[in-house]
This record gives sequence, C-alpha cells and structure tokens, in this order.
Amino acid sequence: MATRRVPVAEGLFAETPDGPRLLGSRCVSCGTPYFPRASLCRNPACHESRLEDASFGPGGTLWSFSVQHYPPPPPAKYDEPYAPYAMGLIDLDEGLRVLARISAGNLAALVVGARVELVLERLYASADGEVITWKFRPQ
Amino acid sequence: MREVAVIGVGMHPWGKFAEKSITQLCREAVVAALADADVAWREVEAVAAASSRFSGGKGWGLNGNDIVEEMGPTGVPVYNLSAGCAAGGNAFNIGHTLVASGLHDVVLVVGGEKMPKGFIQTSGVEEETDLEYLRQLAVGMPGPAFWGLLASRRMADHGTTEEQLARIAVKAHQVAKHNENARFRQEFTLEDVLTSPLVSYPLRLYEICPVSDGAAAVVLCSADEARKRATKPVWVASSTVATSRFADGVPRGLATVVPPGVTHHSEAAACVRGALAGAGATPEDVDLVELQDNTVYYELAFPEEWGFCEPGEAESLVERGETLPAGRLPINPSGGFLCFGEATTAMGVFQVCELTWQLRGQSGARQVPEAKLGLGQTLGLGGNASAVVLKR
Repeated sequence: MATRRVPVAEGLFAETPDGPRLLGSRCVSCGTPYFPRASLCRNPACHESRLEDASFGPGGTLWSFSVQHYPPPPPAKYDEPYAPYAMGLIDLDEGLRVLARISAGNLAALVVGARVELVLERLYASADGEVITWKFRPQ
Repeated sequence: MREVAVIGVGMHPWGKFAEKSITQLCREAVVAALADADVAWREVEAVAAASSRFSGGKGWGLNGNDIVEEMGPTGVPVYNLSAGCAAGGNAFNIGHTLVASGLHDVVLVVGGEKMPKGFIQTSGVEEETDLEYLRQLAVGMPGPAFWGLLASRRMADHGTTEEQLARIAVKAHQVAKHNENARFRQEFTLEDVLTSPLVSYPLRLYEICPVSDGAAAVVLCSADEARKRATKPVWVASSTVATSRFADGVPRGLATVVPPGVTHHSEAAACVRGALAGAGATPEDVDLVELQDNTVYYELAFPEEWGFCEPGEAESLVERGETLPAGRLPINPSGGFLCFGEATTAMGVFQVCELTWQLRGQSGARQVPEAKLGLGQTLGLGGNASAVVLKR
C-alpha cells in the first residue's frame, strides 16, 4: 500500500499534468508575482491591483543556501535521527525569489548559481502519512 | 522640535540570571540611570518601554507598566513599544519624540528581557496565515539560517573566507574583555572560532549571538532642563524608525519579487541614512558604530549597505584592524551582540548606553579616541528598524 502524502499546508503547491508547481498570484497590472496567493497587490508603485491565480516553477537558480546543522526549534518537525539539511533562496525564472528546502544527497556539492528544479518531497513522517513540502533539486 | 539630551544611562549586566525577574533587572538599570542623571523617580514625566516578547509585561507586553508599579505609581503616561528586536530602538525614538515635541521635559526609556534557553522560536503565532510560522513549519528555517544564506551569498559574491568571518568574532572578544557588562569576556583565537560547531553553514557557534538576559535604561531631557541640572549631556542628533520596503531582497515571508539590485535590509539602510541626514552628518563624520551584529556577517554587510565603505571592502577593514576602537571605523567597541548575547527588545537601549559612555570618554580600555559622534542601529522581526545618532 502506498504511503499517504499529506501537504504540510493547503493551497501552496500542486502536482499538475506538467509537473509540480507552486501556487501563487500575479498582478496583471504590474506583473508582480506572489507566493503564497495574495488578495491585494502590495507593490506601492502599482496603480490598480488586479490579481490572478498563477503557478510557478519548475526551473530556477540557487541564489544562496545554508545548511541547518542543529535540530530547529518548533514548529519545525523532522525525522529522527536528525540529519542536517539545506535550505536556499531560489530565483525562479518567473521573477519570484522563494525560500525552500534543497533536496540534495551531497550538501558539500551545493554551489551558488546552480540550476535547480521544483520537487514535492517528504518533510517528515507523521501518523497520517508522509508530510510533503516544496523543495528544489540541483539539476 | 527641541534639542534632546541624554543625561543618564544605566545597565544591568548581560548574562543568565535565573534568580532575578525581568522587572528586577529593569529596576536595577532604571535606578542606575536615574542616579547617573541625578533625577528622582518622581521627576520622570513619562516612560517609553520596549515590550518584551518573552517575559513579564503581564503577557501583554506591558513591561513599562511593570516598571512603574515597581518604582512607584506616579500616574505617568506609559508607552509600551513592540517592534521585535528593534523594540528598544523604537522606545528610544518615542521617548525622544516626547521630549523633542515639547510634551515632556524628563522621560525614561527602558528595555529589558529574560530569554528562554536555546534557539528561539521567532513567531509567537501558530497559524498558517502567519508567514513567519509557515516558513518554520514548511521549510524548517529558523533565524540563524537566514544569516547563513546571506553569508554564503557574500562568499560567492566577494570571495569572503571562513577565516575572515571568524576574525570578526575574534575582534569582538578582544574588546569585550574590557567591558564589565558583557557576558562573554574571554578572548578567542581564530582557531577557537573556526573549530566551534557549525550552526547554519557557513556560520559557526561563536559567530552567532546567543540569547541573554539584560536590561538598560536612559534618562532623556530637554536642553533647558539639562542646563538647569548643570550636567555634561550627550545630545541626540537624530533618531529614526522605519519598516522594510517592497522588493527588499530578503523575503520576510516565503517569497519576494527578484529585486533589480542589492536592496537587502531596506529598513535598516533607510533608518541609518535618515539618521545621518537628520544629524547633518556623513559616514566620514561617524566616530563609532554600535550595530546589530546577530552574526559576524552584519559587520561586513551593514557598513556597505549604509555607504560606509565600498561593496567587498569590509573584509579588508576587519583584517587591517580598522574596526577596532582605535581604527578608522570602530564597530561595536562594546563587544556587540556577539559578546553580550541578545536580550532582544533591550538592545536598542543598550546601544544608547554604550554610545553615551563612549561619547563621555568613560569607556576605559575599549574607549574610541576622541569620540564625538556615534551611530546605533537595530533590526527587528516584521521589517522593523531603528537608528540613533548621538553627539557630544
């Protein structure tokens, strides 16, 4: 039996026919992208807030990264035993800079400027199943 | 607006004080500041206090009310200011405004904090609509990881080495050994720092400020009042508060728009640039800076973001010893957050105390020679920042 996959929070990402995507908004007036979805364009220079649903990904560039060497405080959760993981800021090709986990086997091989792609993977296992979040994997 | 003077400062040492309440820490700082100013408690006309996130304040951030109850209920107005780690700076800004506006002649500013043990959970709200909460839940990203991201980007941009980062921690401890209020006063070698455990790559334990308990207080008054009291005041040249701007390169939630250039910490840059302009000063006029060094990274990034040096130049300033008290740009001659540890909401008031002692020439072995103009700066959750310029 396949393990149940539970999103870490609703409405943030989806598996689409074209692959995984982040779910957000874009202002039709000024082009500003938002993640998660926004209800109002926050660009002070925008004259009229006209938000549409938009999806982002999968391609981007690793702007920077860090490795979490100690178990984070709550509300973060992780599988025991704790293993260090990487996080990064990714500049998506659609002009959105997003925070994310990095899915990489070899943390020492991570480099700023690397091309990465969106994946939806396990954050930790809970009684309800695998809790899934958005991550980026070096190509 | 009227001229405003700092006529008294007081500090409870930073450390861990399990046996004392936050109000007791604050009371000791307030009593010291009032004695330094030669002002009686009943003469204080208003109180501006930093709201603590972690202790006292009846759970409502009413830390100023706690202090008034402790000192004696005189019926004065109390302003409790909340701005994350910038709360002390915000409280100072309101205290300054109360005097500068002519509303009050003698005002007390106070900030204190007792911190829980270990790495802090920054958000106090456990709802998925709170992006700070959601970030920690979904990405597993506590505060120090942000600093790690910024530091590793700097390494890629400017070739900054781990040794250069470590050198800043060595410098901090070199000056803090002379500061009796600092929590960590032992000297570190480069090797000590470079062999301390990695916390958030590339940052190590000794390159990140821990959390501490501490309290600081400042007595402000009008120029007339300062002259009447025949003290030798330090003057508030300017005090600013700002919030972050749209398209800041550091996302405060989960994402931001990719900015056109380097626009990090827009709130801190706006505050510092505004404070210098308000003081009629340029970076060259500043004799010392007390900046928010939650991590060594900020001693490299902030001076550049504020126009004190060219991008990529800060590493060489550190290596040449220019950020020591006798250097061209003394940064955190107190020992900074690295050696005090962060008593989050007290830090803006702590900086005013340290700057005042420097401008009075009372800083002993960590004294900046001929200090005439000093800059303080804080940065807090929610995109809050404050800055202050003091002059003698």
